[in-house]
Amino acid sequence: MENAQLVALSRQSILRNHLDVIANNMANINTSGYKSQNLHFAEYVMPVADGTAFEPQDRDISYVDMFTTRTDFTHGSLKMTGNDFDLALNSDGFFAVQLPDGTEAYTRAGSFHLDNTGQLVTAEGLPVLTETGPITFSVEDGNVQIAGDGTIATNLGIRGRMKVVDFEDVRTLEKIGDTMFRGEDPLPAAQVSLVQGGLENSNVYGITEVTHLIEVTRAYDATSKIVKDLDELRQQAISTLGRFQA
Amino acid sequence: MKALHIAATGMKAQELNVEVISNNVANMRTTGFKKQRADFQDLLYQNLRRMGTETSDAGTIVPTGIQIGSGVKIASTARIMSQGSLEQTGKELDLAIRGEGFFQIQLPDGTTGYTRDGSFERDANGQLVTIDGYIVDPGINIPTNAKDITISNTGVVQGVNQNGTTVELGQLQLARFVNKAGLEAIGDNLYLETDASGAPETSNPGDDGYGSVQQYFLEMANVDAVTEIADLISAQRAYEMNSQIIQAADEMYSTTTNLR
Repeated sequence: MENAQLVALSRQSILRNHLDVIANNMANINTSGYKSQNLHFAEYVMPVADGTAFEPQDRDISYVDMFTTRTDFTHGSLKMTGNDFDLALNSDGFFAVQLPDGTEAYTRAGSFHLDNTGQLVTAEGLPVLTETGPITFSVEDGNVQIAGDGTIATNLGIRGRMKVVDFEDVRTLEKIGDTMFRGEDPLPAAQVSLVQGGLENSNVYGITEVTHLIEVTRAYDATSKIVKDLDELRQQAISTLGRFQA
Repeated sequence: MKALHIAATGMKAQELNVEVISNNVANMRTTGFKKQRADFQDLLYQNLRRMGTETSDAGTIVPTGIQIGSGVKIASTARIMSQGSLEQTGKELDLAIRGEGFFQIQLPDGTTGYTRDGSFERDANGQLVTIDGYIVDPGINIPTNAKDITISNTGVVQGVNQNGTTVELGQLQLARFVNKAGLEAIGDNLYLETDASGAPETSNPGDDGYGSVQQYFLEMANVDAVTEIADLISAQRAYEMNSQIIQAADEMYSTTTNLR
């Protein structure tokens, strides 16, 4: 009978984590370039050892366990801002950013700025990479035009091309905060289509998250009910079986 | 259960978003005002199950791990330095900049402030000053007997003296920055140079890379009411949805406490 309570407990602790994931999506509903996550569950069967190895034969018990948080890489909607250094990717792929330790991180949040030396940087001040490394603009460059294929043109002619990379399997990317991802073996994006003066909105849909939220709270309630019923059952068992028949 | 705190970061971020939007709307009719935008980023992730770790002796690995985020933060309130529309005022010392550049203003403490607000006046000595009486740099003195002041697109200030001859009174200059979005706003439509903006470079209006000056016009704020209201609605709804999460988390806590 305790097993049922433990199964219920496994369910409840997972639901709490699921709520955390939903809360994080909701908190980032206005974060440009944010990709929503979903928590997937897996059945965890006990005993792990072969069931027939024991006498009397154990019955399998299914617990629930977290399997993975799957990031949804569908594109968010496009918001036009009119800011020259706001870039939105309309195709698959990521902008490359140089981290302080020299490695690269990848992001779809294209709200870039210039720093005091005219270098193209993220809001954190990390250099944004072109195909030939970081790029610096000076007063002579005048207006910076970034074409749909990522080519950067100024008054001084063509200055380079935005580095846009893609991955064999985007599911292997690790979120590291600041709307950035870390990944291995980037490939040049097959097709680049970017929009200057626009930003990609978060791909979190309020209604989907609220639906998930309702599911989670109700599932939590239901599981609590089971725990409560089990408790009553046990209480009854104790009082009935423990009654002394004279 | 971190959900309570995660939702709190979401509410806090949207609260700031509304503050930024309301400041934009409040300054919709402020001469030379440049709107701001709140940019958000997600916070660090907790790796409950790391991707790439081995799951068996055979070398199979976890393809996608379990990452639980911890909310949102405000990355920057970037100022959008786009051109505002020009409005004709008919006042001869009203100047608007078309294109790049800022007027330089001598602040009382001796430092230089920068502004796009060209609603200038003459003080008692005939000096060209801002509405607050701060001197426009480089100084331009307009004698009392000078009339019909004309300011050319390239910033040359001319007047007609009592003999009816045209005399040159001075030359306006504009300053520009590598990163104008990095300027620090100090109110009164003024900006200060910072480490992020870089040092100013000055030149005459109309020179390569600098905007031109338009007399009898003022630059309006670059705030677009429709965009601001749309942003306000989405910020308010996001705030509401985050409060829903707090309620849900609270309900789950109460379910737990009512178990017995």
